[in-house]
Amino acid sequence: MSASILIKGARLLDPANSIDQVLDVRIVDGDVTEIGSDLKLNGSGQLLDATDMWLSPAFIDLHTHLRDFAQSDRETLETGTLAAAAGGYATVLAMANTEPPIDNAAILSQLMSKIEEHALIEVLPVACVTKGMAGAELTSMVELSAIGAAAFSDDGMPISNMAVLRRALEYAKLADRLIISHPEDKDLSQGGCIHECHVSTRLGLPGIPAAAESAAIAREIEVVRQTGGRLHFAHVSCARSVDLIRRARADGLSITADATPHHLSLTVDQSRPYDASYKMNPPLRTEADRKALVAALKDGTLDAIATDHAPHTSLDKSRPFDEAPFGVTGLETAFSLALEHVAASGNLSPSDLIALFTSKPASVLALPQPGIRTGTQASLVVLDPKHVWSYDSEKGYSKSVNSPFHGRSLTGKAVLTVCRGEVVYKHGEVLSSRLSKAR
Amino acid sequence: MAAAGICQRLYELTSKPLPVLEDRIVANLFYENSTRTRSSFELAARKLGASVLNLDIGTSSVGKGESITDTARTLVAMGVHAVVQRHASSGSAHQLAEALTDKVHVINAGDGWNAHPTQALLDLYSMLTVKPDFTGSKVAIVGDITHSRVARSNLWLLKLFGADIHLAGPPTLMPAELASLGVTVHNRLEPAIEGCDFVMALRLQLERQAQGLIPSLGEYRKLYRLDHHRIRLAKPSVKVLHPGPVNRDVEITGALADDPELSLINSQVSNGIAVRMAALYLLMSGRGTLR
Repeated sequence: MSASILIKGARLLDPANSIDQVLDVRIVDGDVTEIGSDLKLNGSGQLLDATDMWLSPAFIDLHTHLRDFAQSDRETLETGTLAAAAGGYATVLAMANTEPPIDNAAILSQLMSKIEEHALIEVLPVACVTKGMAGAELTSMVELSAIGAAAFSDDGMPISNMAVLRRALEYAKLADRLIISHPEDKDLSQGGCIHECHVSTRLGLPGIPAAAESAAIAREIEVVRQTGGRLHFAHVSCARSVDLIRRARADGLSITADATPHHLSLTVDQSRPYDASYKMNPPLRTEADRKALVAALKDGTLDAIATDHAPHTSLDKSRPFDEAPFGVTGLETAFSLALEHVAASGNLSPSDLIALFTSKPASVLALPQPGIRTGTQASLVVLDPKHVWSYDSEKGYSKSVNSPFHGRSLTGKAVLTVCRGEVVYKHGEVLSSRLSKAR
Repeated sequence: MAAAGICQRLYELTSKPLPVLEDRIVANLFYENSTRTRSSFELAARKLGASVLNLDIGTSSVGKGESITDTARTLVAMGVHAVVQRHASSGSAHQLAEALTDKVHVINAGDGWNAHPTQALLDLYSMLTVKPDFTGSKVAIVGDITHSRVARSNLWLLKLFGADIHLAGPPTLMPAELASLGVTVHNRLEPAIEGCDFVMALRLQLERQAQGLIPSLGEYRKLYRLDHHRIRLAKPSVKVLHPGPVNRDVEITGALADDPELSLINSQVSNGIAVRMAALYLLMSGRGTLR
């Protein structure tokens, strides 16, 4: 980008710097050059009238499945990062359960090159905790961190042996990296495909009890208490889990956690019977659970909203409900859902909502705090919180369409995303030219 | 109410078999083996003059993972008029019906743990033949409720007809929040069958023991097996039902299952053909709808 952009009249929301004020921001050659009132367009720059819109640091997603490799029929680095950019993200944490999994230096190096070549935004790779995600032998965490692993996780294949988790937490200190847990007791959840309750009973589907999550969380908290180390619980879905995490944090343990937009906006009672677009792991829970998650984001027990964007092909998702894979897409709908179900119904201020997408996930990862400051490279998003749109997953940027929000009317949308000084998404503009562009 | 009408009509139908579906094709699509149910549908279709296409997908090269939608398209292309589907996945009949055009009728012959509607219809029909004033009847269903599509279908249908439904079984075989479905839940057999008009024993899949859901068949027998002694807790006019095939001396004693005074099990089988004839007739002749 060589020209300048003047974003005028936006409500600048920069939680890390405690800014919530209507201000104009000028970007020249990718850098924020000026922040102030009544800035004038000089020369040939672009003007974006952002009156009644919000301007914030670009979003960070702690949980994205970008697939690629052998699963490029579901998503590629290009389509996944474009979907992320369209959702307002400039940074995503890419989960390691790819095919092959990211469990050794060679494959991670290959991923780093792919990211360099194909990603439109910043992709921070996660590497596996154990080789082949088999839950036994640790990966070379120090070497993998040096290559670029931002965190470690066996997401989807939770470590069931607590001795292995203990060693992983201890060894990860050497690499100074976070371990991300997918908290699930596979024995308790075995065979289940929907929250165990009157709905599973009615539909004749094997249930996943809430205890499959909360029991795993309780156990893992005690291992952290023993060993120290940093553990992050991904996609927390039920009230009991929230209570356990709240107590552990009060005890001073280095535990963080996130919740997904779908668990914050849907309940098991609202899922369309036998529609695999509503099948995810953990499953949608009850309204009491959903409310507990919203409250936990407000009181700080949960740190972030993370998408768990999990693309699957329509063919796989069209299999019978019990055979269909778990997971839903989420990058393009996260902000709208959070606006409606967390900010509006949970009574969170815009600044507090934005923190859940920016400063707080940055803290979880121990990244530099994001901000919009003069003299720094621009990574920001302009959001129109009033924009009403109909989400058509077929017309989305993700390669997959497995979203329970397909066809819904949503409010709030990213209109401009800038990543490291470069415009990566602009609402209403055809961006297909970006797809072939090698950076 | 609709089903009562159906039962009434099929009664006439069985006495005068008509070639009413002569130019029609019924496909039996069984992803799961079930000789009994498949044969019952086949006989019903033939008695109405329809051609029957048997697709035993469970044993053919088209196995698990085959798209239900693709199979549906093939059947439409073959000119099939009705599909009778048995599948191990709950919701699969629903999925097939969504995939097929309105011109092809779908009859669910059992989907996972979810439903087995013609079984419930034949059970109700069997009960109505012995007790036409069915409303208010106490019906107990005993056994493995969690994994039972028969229990679920009966629950919905019998409730519609005003039955007072009691379910009994070990806590490990009762699904979550069962009482929310408008039934009374018991863990012991005795209070469930006390004063009953009808008692239905469910087949216990023998693998439940290996799955750790029951400690032993011996203990199951002691707690839940229906026999002549226990059935005395029910009304003197009580009738016993079982969807078959019976594990003799596990969920019910052979003597009770064979008792012509107390057991409806034999008539359930013959009523099954009549009910399935009714279902096929009403759907395919265009003279009524079954919903």
